[in-house]
Amino acid sequence: MTPQVAVVVFPGTNSEDETLRALHAVGLEAELVHWSAPESLARFDAYVLPGGFAYEDRIRAGAVAAYDAVMDPVIEGAQAGKLVLGICNGAQILAEAGLVPGTAGVRRPTAAFAPNASGRFQSVHVHVKLVVAPERVPILAGIEPGAVIPGWASHGDGRLAAPANELERIVSDGHLAFVYADRDGNQVPAPNGAALDCAGLVNRAGNVLAIMPHPERDAWTYQHIDGSRDAARGDTAATLAPSGGIRFFEHFARAVRGQVMA
Amino acid sequence: MTRTFAVSLIIPDNEAFTAYETLARLGVPAARVVRSDIWLFEVAPEAAETLASSVAQIETLYNPNKHRLVERTSDAPEPGEVWVASRDEAPATRIAGRALPGVTGIRRRTSWRLLDEAGQDIGQSDRDRAVATFLCNPAFQVAIT
Repeated sequence: MTPQVAVVVFPGTNSEDETLRALHAVGLEAELVHWSAPESLARFDAYVLPGGFAYEDRIRAGAVAAYDAVMDPVIEGAQAGKLVLGICNGAQILAEAGLVPGTAGVRRPTAAFAPNASGRFQSVHVHVKLVVAPERVPILAGIEPGAVIPGWASHGDGRLAAPANELERIVSDGHLAFVYADRDGNQVPAPNGAALDCAGLVNRAGNVLAIMPHPERDAWTYQHIDGSRDAARGDTAATLAPSGGIRFFEHFARAVRGQVMA
Repeated sequence: MTRTFAVSLIIPDNEAFTAYETLARLGVPAARVVRSDIWLFEVAPEAAETLASSVAQIETLYNPNKHRLVERTSDAPEPGEVWVASRDEAPATRIAGRALPGVTGIRRRTSWRLLDEAGQDIGQSDRDRAVATFLCNPAFQVAIT
């Protein structure tokens, strides 16, 4: 049985095609499902909420989408143990939907990816480091301890914000999945001022992951920012070779396949 | 001293309509949603008189073709109105990159009013539910009534 992944598209989503391309590149069967077709979602084995500006970020980033009817089957799937990955705006939606950190229940958010400390949209190349044990993130099956993933942090609302006691719980209960780091894995201050330097949150069961930077935008060498891109210049095959971000999707694919096999 | 300005759209407010649609989905009996941006300026008394004209010249805040600019007499919400603010907001000293004469602090709120068919504020319990479930994320925002 081939696992099926839905890339959920809201009005205002803008990263669905590169997300789909990354999923296809790691061998997953994936397709776009638009907000107008919530009834078609139940048949999928996993869901990816890509980046963009769902509903123009009206009210708050992710807030309107969190209540969209298309999120009902996603939430039901998450509760049933299906894998749900949110990237950037998708991460904001998962936080607004209360799926991450998920400490108070559905649509009862206890944390948010709030406006950047700078008050501005920022787009910077970053690395993120896994800071929980790999067993806490079965959605990234086979990921190694302390894995460092490159990506692009491109958002105006990526600053983790929560009351102090909730931040303590996020750490103590292992919801802080990724922090910003340098390429060698040393934690660095979040470019958006996020509490805990948080770049990604995971729920208690480890099947729902919200990550702010875009690994799908560093999936190919030409998208990467270091010497490898310069070295590949003029060599088409090298330029189009997978980059570090694709590893993220390889782990996700392994998890999706493993879940379907189980 | 604090001077308070409300900026609202005179063209259709898509954000307010989106809020209305989501609230309808949540069963909140609002027939109309009215949204405004509230700007609170801490200003030196000697600069207060010219503040309104200074604010009216900030085109990213107020465009007379799109907005209505009203100076409020109070720095608190009107009856029936809810202001949503960031919990950790630090007052800014510039707005749209500009410093205003005599202004030492600028804070922003989003004002919401939920009206019924007759144009009256909906009941407090429905309003509180709208705020608690959707209009305000308590993780980083606070609702002021």
